[in-house]
This record gives sequence, C-alpha cells and structure tokens, in this order.
Amino acid sequence: MFDEFETPEPDEAVKLALRRIDEATARGEGSDADGLAFNEVVVNMGPQHPSTHGVLRLVVTLDGELVKDVIPVIGYLHRCKEKLAERRTYFQYIPIVDRTEYVAGINCEWAYVMTVEKLAGIRPTRRAEFIRVITGELMRIASHLVAVGTFTADLSPLGTAMVFYMFRDREVILDLLEELTGARMMFNYFRFGGVRYDLPDGWVEKCRAFLKKMPKLMREYESLVDDNAIFLQRTQGKGVITQQDVVDYGITGPNARASAVALDLRRTRPYSVYPELDFEVCTLEHGDVFDRYKVRMNEMRESVKIIEQALDMLPRGPVQVGSLRAPYVITPPPGSCYVGQENPRGEYGTYIESDGSRYPYRLKYRDPCFCNLQIFPKLLSGNKIADAVAISGSIDLVLGGIDR
Amino acid sequence: MGLEIGTHPMSMDDIASLLAERFAAEFHHVRVQEPDTVVARCAREDLAAVARSLKEHPEVGYETLNWIAGVDHVKHFESVYHVYSWKTNTYLELHVEVPRATPEIDTVTGVWPAADWHERESFDMVGIVYTGHPDLRRILLKDDFVGHPLRKDYVDLAENHPHV
Amino acid sequence: MPERLKAVRYPKLEHFNEPNVITTTADFIFSWARSHSVFPFTYGLACCAIEMLSSGFARFDVARYGMEVFRPTPRQCDLMIVAGTVNEKMAPVLKRLYDQMAEPKWVISMGACATSGGPFYDGYNVVNGVDKIVPVDVYIPGCPPRPEALFQGLLELQVKIQQHKFVAEKPAIAEAAAPDGEA
Repeated sequence: MFDEFETPEPDEAVKLALRRIDEATARGEGSDADGLAFNEVVVNMGPQHPSTHGVLRLVVTLDGELVKDVIPVIGYLHRCKEKLAERRTYFQYIPIVDRTEYVAGINCEWAYVMTVEKLAGIRPTRRAEFIRVITGELMRIASHLVAVGTFTADLSPLGTAMVFYMFRDREVILDLLEELTGARMMFNYFRFGGVRYDLPDGWVEKCRAFLKKMPKLMREYESLVDDNAIFLQRTQGKGVITQQDVVDYGITGPNARASAVALDLRRTRPYSVYPELDFEVCTLEHGDVFDRYKVRMNEMRESVKIIEQALDMLPRGPVQVGSLRAPYVITPPPGSCYVGQENPRGEYGTYIESDGSRYPYRLKYRDPCFCNLQIFPKLLSGNKIADAVAISGSIDLVLGGIDR
Repeated sequence: MGLEIGTHPMSMDDIASLLAERFAAEFHHVRVQEPDTVVARCAREDLAAVARSLKEHPEVGYETLNWIAGVDHVKHFESVYHVYSWKTNTYLELHVEVPRATPEIDTVTGVWPAADWHERESFDMVGIVYTGHPDLRRILLKDDFVGHPLRKDYVDLAENHPHV
Repeated sequence: MPERLKAVRYPKLEHFNEPNVITTTADFIFSWARSHSVFPFTYGLACCAIEMLSSGFARFDVARYGMEVFRPTPRQCDLMIVAGTVNEKMAPVLKRLYDQMAEPKWVISMGACATSGGPFYDGYNVVNGVDKIVPVDVYIPGCPPRPEALFQGLLELQVKIQQHKFVAEKPAIAEAAAPDGEA
C-alpha cells in the first residue's frame, strides 16, 4: 500500500554522483574536510519539474544552495527516430523529422529535405526557395518567442507578463502558417524539390501587416524586462560561455553568438537564397544569460528584415519540381551526405547514408541542443540553484532534439 | 576579437592535397565533397595520432568536433567523425572502420572534449566500445536495456518492453 | 418508550453506506465543485506540451473552465494530462507520479502518442499508449491536438467528474460478511 512512498534504489546517475562525492572527500575537497557536518546532498531535478524545458533530469550535487556538480540524464523522450528512418521511405519520414525540434518544425524539415535533395541531385524551384526562407524565418521568430517567453516564465513561475504577450503574438504567426500549410505545429510542408502548397491569396498582405507590427511589439517586450533590476541582477554575469567552450564543445547558434563568435551557418555555409539577402549576424560580447536573451531578441528583428526582403523578391513560378506532384518514392544513388542548417538553436543537420533503395540506410541527426547540453556541468557548477534555473532556461533546450 | 572564422581561406582541392600529403600513410581515399567537405578514410590504429595532428595542424587546425556517428555496415562497423576548421571554414568527414568481432576503438575525448556524449551515444546505439572514455555508459536508453538498437540484426526483445 | 415510537427507524451512521438523498445531494455539490475547479498536472512530455501551454495562454484561455492552476507537483493535482510520448525509461516515473496523486484523480491521454504510440508506434523504446500504465479517463486524438480539441476533452472530463459518487456501491460479498447491524 505504501510502495509509492518508498525511495527507489539509486540508479546509475545517482550512484555516479555519490561516487564523485566520495572521491572528492577522499581528495580532501568535500565539505566535511574541515571536520564539520557533512553538507553535500544529491538532489534530483526532473524529469518532471516546472523549470526544465521538457523531460530533462538533472542529478544535482548541492552544498547548501551552491551547486557542486550536475549530471544531466537524458533519454526520457527517446523515440527511436534514427531507427524508424530505416523503415520509412524518404517521403514518409518527413512528418517524423518535424517532431524532432518540435518548437521549430519547419527548420528541421528544411535540413532533412536539403540533405536528401543533395543526395538525389534535385534542385528546388526558385519560388520554393523563397517560400522556404519566409516560412523558416517566421518559424525562427516563433521559436525565439517560445524560448524567451519560457525563459522569463522560469525566472518567476509564470509571474512575468512577457510570456503571455509572446505567446499571443506567436499565435498570429501560427495562424499564418496554418493558413499556408494546414497545421499549427507539425507542418509536413516541405517536399523534395519545393514545398507542398503555394501561398494563398492575401497571405502576403497578412504577413506584411504582421511584420509592420513587430517593431512595436519588440519594444513592448523589452520594456517589460530590460529595466527590471531583479532581472538584470539574475542574468548579468551569470553562466558565461567562453570562446574556448564554443570551440571545445561545438556550441552553435545564439549561445555561441552571445560570446562574440560570429558563427551563423546562413553566412558561413550559405544555403538556399541567403546569399542574396541582406542581414546581420547578431553577436554580443559577454556570453552571459542576459546576452543570450538579447541575441535572440535581436535575431527576431533581423528575421523580420529577411522576410520583408524575401517577400519583395518573391518570383513567380511553380513551387514544386515536376509536373503536378513532387516525387513520392525517390531512390537516391548510394552515397552519404551531411547538410547542416541554421536552426534557431544552432547547427541542426542530418547525415544520411543511402544504399540506393527507397529507405535510408542510416540517418543521424546533429542536434544543437545535444551539443549545447554537454556544457551544463561546467556552466552550472559554482552557481546557486536559482541561477541554475536561469542558466538552463537561457541555453534553450528542446528535449525532442536531444533525445530524438 | 578572439575567434575568427575563415582567416586562412584555401580552396578545397588545396586542402585535400595538403591532407593527402601530410597523412599519406594514414588516409586513404581522400576526396572533396562539394561545397566544403573533405572526406577521408583512416585505419583505427592510426586514429589517436591522426586526431591529435588534425587538431593541432597550423594551417587547417580542425579544432571543433561536430558529431560522431556509429554505423553498422553488416560486415563491419564504422565510426564517422565530422570536424570543423575555423581557419578555413571547412569540414572533414573521417570514416574509421571498426571490425565487428572486436568493436573497440580509441576515444578522442582527450583531443576534442565534445566527443564525450557523442561517443556514449554511438556506444549506446551501435555498441562500439571507445577505450579510454572516462564514463562510457548508456545515454539515451535505460541502463538495463539489452542490445544495441541501431545494429542491423537487432531484434526487439521482450525484456526491453516490460510495459506491453 | 411508547409502542408506536418503537416502529420508527431512526437514521443510524450505517445508513450512510448506501446512496440516499443526503449523499446524492452531497455528490452533486462536490462533483459540481470538483469539475469546475480541476487542478491539472503539467505532465507535458513532448510536442503536445507546447499545445497545452498554448491553451493556457491568452488566445485559448483554459482559465475560463477553471483549470488554469497547473501545478507542477502531483500531490496538489486532480488531473494528469499526459501530453506526449511515453517510453520505457519514462514509464516508471509516470507510474510513480500517478501514485503520488491523491484520490479522486483522473487521467487525460492527450495526443496520438499517449493514446497508442502515435507515429512512433513501432519504436523499440516506445510504450504504445499510456493506458498500459495508468487508467485513462479521456483520450484526445490528434498530433498534436489543437487547443480546442483539448478543451473538448476537458469538457467531456467535466461530465465524467460530475458522475462521480463518493459513496461507492457496496459489493455483495461485504454485505454478506457484515457481522452486525441492520444494514
């Protein structure tokens, strides 16, 4: 009857944390080295916790309120995507790729579709490329709204108004995408050689109307938190990612750009029609939590510029290669290919090995959050537990990508 | 300030011939995959030395590890390393063959710290053992999972499905 | 006592073990109150969690149904909305959290993954449906279900909660074994 009240046996991660405490004590670094009371506690945060973004489990070794060590345990959302790729045709797999980084579905589809197109030698149409850029950047704005909104919601649990405003405006973007693709989150929109649907009548005007409102909305968001002394105190100087960390751990995306590393795959490894568009790579210098938040806000403004240019330059023409429908069954020639793409969280790419059949032989994801999460132990140690929440929110993790 | 990208740009053919010359003994089949990747194969005995030299090369230092993939090519396994060079802004994809009977290979965590979790995932999914890894245990699957799912001969076992 | 008073059956405590007018009124009041003030448990696992979040915010406002108090701890919740895929690593955690909720509790299985495994049904690590682990009251199909679909599920659950009786039907065996009394 009381099974649920008993503490379960410690599993591997907790045993590792306890072992590390013992080793530190043996070396003389533990908190009872002075002969005082033993202070270190191993606490489990997650996999269900209000302030972790998804089912991430952190086994935290605490000394009072100070975090000594963090062991992230992942895999609670492992959905066997890489194995499923071997049993679905290339075309059947597109909806599954959507669900990797579910907050930024369009960008995930884009990386996969680009890889297969490169393997199979299909070139998308020019109008489709521009539509891809438009929807990709709209998704980037929506994804940053979720990222920054949930980050500020974590700092004081749903107490900030910012998350409500950001989700309100995200709904406008999802309306646009729903009118175009039919779905609010899992779009299944990209095809090999183009996109599935052309822009409906009046869509461009609605999009422009939304983009016109964006600067005012951005000012509204920033007015809510930028002058707040508590926000600044909790975010400035905390969780600094150095440039050596960026090189050592392969950190990409806004997390790297906040540390003055101008790594943006839209510029360093250009794809699609980005070479023809004029935008800046947003970087900041300190690499702390505040800068990561600011970089995402600045990127939203740059995305607005990109979409406006793309709407102006939108050419006429078909949105799919081929007569009426994109190829449903494709058999790329044997070979392998990796294409990385600038996802809102960093470099997201798929490595596909093909053996000439209808099914991929091996599909491997390069997920930005998986690589960014490796730095957690280093980043959180030495901070208070409340800072740990702020820092983990600023790294912007989506467990669907980490666990695949 | 600090980290610059593409400070020593070189053409892909130059990079490929530079690598083919420097690692003439270790690399086979060096080729260029457009637009910016050099693909090469290497034997597993040479991996440790090659990794160190690749990172510390003065002209094309491959300082960042992007990902490591384990692949099961029925007759053998393969560990694929994808590394990035900041100076030339190009990539190198290194394929290392691992025999199926003894799937062991040296770890590269001493060279690229990012390899930690990537090697754990490759071990978890395909079963390649990275000798010298500080903490080689399963990362995505539960600790008592039996088998390595991304192998081609993996069969779904009842022990892995207690909740059916 | 006068003869005519001996024939009157005075209410005794044992009589409240059967449904009667007082318990049915109490049922009505408590169930009505419970159904209009459900505390959901934020058990968002995957993509459906984002739709659950959206349904809590301004456009699709779940507060109009009285369910905006999403508590992160199971001990303060009535309703567990399992939103997302459950896999073998997560299943013991799910069971443990379900056990930590106090009665009466309900479970909504939101989305195709929680109902039956969804697009990942043939994965080696995926549990095909959360009803293999906990009893489910309402299933909401969709991948992901729109917030309006979630609301329809919540309204169906409200109807179900209003049928909840806190006096259970006594099973026949217990009656036969009752040692004393005039039940």
